[in-house]
Amino acid sequence: MSPLVWVGVAEVALRTLAVSASALLLALALGLPLGFLLGRHRFPGRGLLAAVANAGMGLPPVVVGLVVYLVLRRGGPLGSLELLLTPPGMVIAQVLIALPLVVGITLAAVGALPPDWHLQARALGLRGPRALWVLAREIRLGLLAAVIVALGGIISEVGAVQMVGGNLEGQTRMLTTGILMYTQMGRFEDALALAAVLMGMTFVLAGTLTAIQQARRA
Amino acid sequence: MSDGAPLLAARDLEVAFGRGPDGFRLRVDELELRAGQALAVLGPNGAGKSTLLRTLAGLLPPGPRGAVRSPGRDVALVFQRPVLLAGNVAYNAELPLWARGVPRAERRRRARVALEEFGIGALARRSAQTLSGGEGRRLALARAFVTEPDVLLLDEPFDDLDDPGREALSLDLRRAIDERGIAVAMVTHDLRQALLLADRIAVLRAGRLVQVGARDEVLRSPADPGVARLVGMTNLLAAEVTQADGGRLRLRLANGRVLSAAGRAAPGAPVWVGVRPENVRLEPARGDLASSDERAEVVRLVSDGVVATAWLAWDGVELRTHLVAGRGLGQALKPGAPVAISIRAEDVHVMPRGQNASEK
Repeated sequence: MSPLVWVGVAEVALRTLAVSASALLLALALGLPLGFLLGRHRFPGRGLLAAVANAGMGLPPVVVGLVVYLVLRRGGPLGSLELLLTPPGMVIAQVLIALPLVVGITLAAVGALPPDWHLQARALGLRGPRALWVLAREIRLGLLAAVIVALGGIISEVGAVQMVGGNLEGQTRMLTTGILMYTQMGRFEDALALAAVLMGMTFVLAGTLTAIQQARRA
Repeated sequence: MSDGAPLLAARDLEVAFGRGPDGFRLRVDELELRAGQALAVLGPNGAGKSTLLRTLAGLLPPGPRGAVRSPGRDVALVFQRPVLLAGNVAYNAELPLWARGVPRAERRRRARVALEEFGIGALARRSAQTLSGGEGRRLALARAFVTEPDVLLLDEPFDDLDDPGREALSLDLRRAIDERGIAVAMVTHDLRQALLLADRIAVLRAGRLVQVGARDEVLRSPADPGVARLVGMTNLLAAEVTQADGGRLRLRLANGRVLSAAGRAAPGAPVWVGVRPENVRLEPARGDLASSDERAEVVRLVSDGVVATAWLAWDGVELRTHLVAGRGLGQALKPGAPVAISIRAEDVHVMPRGQNASEK
């Protein structure tokens, strides 16, 4: 392949990284507190929210794509924002896919602590940010699992970004949508190149996270 | 800190879990933990002992009118099943200091001292998750001591400890109480340790404080048969007052035998008679007993090597007594042996006997 093609691949890879990383950070920013709240506190509607989160963990991305498409399309409820066929639009779709994963796994990790864990933490004098820090340390395996699963869910996802982003060259083409397109065009070499980059990225990211997760297990 | 000054005062506590017949409610009008004193909280399972400690520690709301005051004091609570956090032993021991913003060097020094004190200094670098039950208990206690609390609340602190460990803990607690004037409240099923350490005893039953008082007073004069049994007054006999005269009572037992006691009650009143087993005195039966009143027979004899417990049949009433094992009567007595018993009037404790089912 010519250097020019590799420039194109790099551009798509960087966009994929940027969109997925943004979506991951947003999903974590929203999902970790929500998962903590659901795992820690009892309040009306908690059961329903937890059920929604757990059901959402199996949400088909293509359905998310459809809904986001309908909401963002011209004439849709948020059509005036003109986010359809843009990277921010794809970020929204990916956040919706990752959020239930983050919430569900965080909720399970917090819920797995002994029932009086929080009471004991308070008895030790832990309050506010320090209490949260110790809690995060305590459930860090679960939290890293949430990050790994959420990242895996969005970086390899194709349906939603295809529908919302439209796979526009130089604008919204992602590694996955590129693979899809090249395969349909019969350009298997290009499809394989993108696939190799995607696999490499996934391995490096998941490997790094796993290394962090397992660091002090021995 | 003057001795006996209240370091923590609670009043009008009302803590409820659930509703209806399955619900539980703790109600305590007043309770004080005083400087230089240990309070043992005794009570059957489910009486609310742990709930009381948690409320005193400020971890549970004290109820609409309730208040727990410990102005400016550091209150530490060691749970019955302490949570050890993922990390090494030193990290766990330093945690309460870190929570209070103590600088790192100071944290390390104080954690090391606390760990040494509880005999686990050598385990500082070990993962807390790999500790044995007893080691974990020591760590939880060191973690409570590390802040040098003014008030120490302990929920079953002797669980998981071996005998030397229990004794060491008792001594450590006694030293902290005497030297630093801290106040201790502990819940324990280990009556021996409770009595060794406690200056005062509080008895909790079904969420209510049934009796609070100096240790010896509660031991000698339990409020009712339930308390009596909890503090080891195991001889509980139904009786009736036959004569009452200026603080002296004559009591007739179910078997028709008569006991004298100090106390006040109306003639004809139904009462419970409580006698601690060590206060039932035994002699080998002689042929020349003036009356058969004192004649009893040994039914069963059990020895733990230190204390022998004899069950006696006293004309249809069962009595228990303690003897020194392997010495004197503790060695000589055999089941079936006739003995003469005597119970001094001052060792007979009289409690009202009503229709209340919770009494016995």
